[in-house]
Amino acid sequence: MSDVNPRTSAAVQLSDVAVQYPNGVIALDKINLEIFDRDLIGLIGPNGAGKSTLLNVILGLIKPTRGTVKLFGDPVSPENLRRVGYVPQKAQATDANFPATVFEIVLMGRIPQVGMFHRLRQKDREKVRKVLQTLGINDLKNRKIGQLSGGQQQRVFVAKAVVGDPRLLILDEPTSGVDAHSKNDFYAMLEKLNHDMGITIILSSHDIATVTKLANRVACINTSLFFCGPTSEFASSPVISNVYGYPVELMRHVDHP
Amino acid sequence: MSTTLDLFLSLLAARFVQYAFVMGVIIGILSSILSIFIVLKRLSLIGDGLSHTAFGGLSLGYFLSVVYFVDIAPIWAGTVVVVLGSIGITKAIRSTKISGDAAVALFLQLGLASGIMLLSISRGFGFNVETLLFGDILLVNLDQIYVALGVLAATLALIFIFYKELVYTTFDEIQARASGIRTWVFDYMISIVAGIAVIASIPIVGVLVISALLVLPALTSIQIARSFKQTVILSPIFGLISVVLGLLLSLIINSAAGATIVVVGLLIFAIVLGLSKFNRATISRGNRMVVR
Repeated sequence: MSDVNPRTSAAVQLSDVAVQYPNGVIALDKINLEIFDRDLIGLIGPNGAGKSTLLNVILGLIKPTRGTVKLFGDPVSPENLRRVGYVPQKAQATDANFPATVFEIVLMGRIPQVGMFHRLRQKDREKVRKVLQTLGINDLKNRKIGQLSGGQQQRVFVAKAVVGDPRLLILDEPTSGVDAHSKNDFYAMLEKLNHDMGITIILSSHDIATVTKLANRVACINTSLFFCGPTSEFASSPVISNVYGYPVELMRHVDHP
Repeated sequence: MSTTLDLFLSLLAARFVQYAFVMGVIIGILSSILSIFIVLKRLSLIGDGLSHTAFGGLSLGYFLSVVYFVDIAPIWAGTVVVVLGSIGITKAIRSTKISGDAAVALFLQLGLASGIMLLSISRGFGFNVETLLFGDILLVNLDQIYVALGVLAATLALIFIFYKELVYTTFDEIQARASGIRTWVFDYMISIVAGIAVIASIPIVGVLVISALLVLPALTSIQIARSFKQTVILSPIFGLISVVLGLLLSLIINSAAGATIVVVGLLIFAIVLGLSKFNRATISRGNRMVVR
């Protein structure tokens, strides 16, 4: 991307990415995908389609067997990962008995920004207070993480991701196990982060209806990429039934507007 | 009665008893701080693995010095073996091929079996295995106190410098890694430091006690702590209370010091667990009444 327009510069660029697990299972194949700055992109696909694997590749947690991954134009490294906020799947979230308050956990989100050998300061705590206010969870700040409901915990993890001033926020099925009402609040919060704070968001989800309402772009994968383009075109395309029913060979890649 | 008290007081005035208390306090603080990271990383058995590896290493040292007259202090052989063991255990735990508990069990068995084998050969040369298994806190000398103080100072310094990274890695390694923290460094760091703490503690409290001290203080404190900060404050308090009360009790009832410390620690854990359960039940009953 030589274009300097922030609207069209790639936050994430995957070229010909493939992942094969040691047991021989091919989780991802021939993935070419660009995610642009300020996108709110929905990553959808059936169970076992490789959504989490794809996110783990972007986060540098899994090394692709083939292909290259670039974050903000550079290969994935601890340095550019500092500009990425990550909210893991709720199921693997945390030990319910971990003795830490919401405030302490959100403060962890400042650690990569502060860097090694430096201590967290008053301004980092100020920042945590501000984010807790913005996300409407200030009243939870002294509660232990294990005492919260699933929806509340997810908000805390988003706060932890956002408090590090990320350029990119990655959420892996953040609303599984969260009730419908909390889900709507949660999605409204994501919209706010994307619109008001200009954070690029990758949201993987089973919830196609909501994702297509929320996201400006959709990427649909099932081992390989079946569709990537504006949500409006996805809605009218036959790709959903194909991916969830019979896999198709055809790959469409609609350029970003 | 007064003679028992007199005897007790005269014991407290004795230099060797005072050394025992100083050493107990050092080991109590050291192990309880490390226990926070060990318990919360769900590696409670790592203390067992490390202390038995250390047992193997110390036995190797005794074997070499007694049987082959190799001129090295057993503690150095033990240190080398336990550091290699810590690296091995951490590497095995981090690999996806072996589960963490199986990895720890492997090193535990290796250390214990090879240690007993070597000691059984050395025994004919006048060495007693009980010293390693149970330690002897009443035989502490000033040199050992200096070594333990050095280990404590180095451990506290490392934890102070890398506190935030250690806490983050302990809380959620995947999230910490995904935000660019090199978590492997801290996994190895805690394991090696725990190994060195174990080797410094074994001659004093023994293999069996140090593995308990690397678990009980944190396990007790997380029953009532309302934050991570409270856990860090409460854990050494519980560790110190068990060591000091255990030592006092062992002097009074003339029991094995190390074992008494562990029994006292377990009792404190049981009491704290009971109190926290009672407290929670009272609070939830209170909440129900408010709802009504």
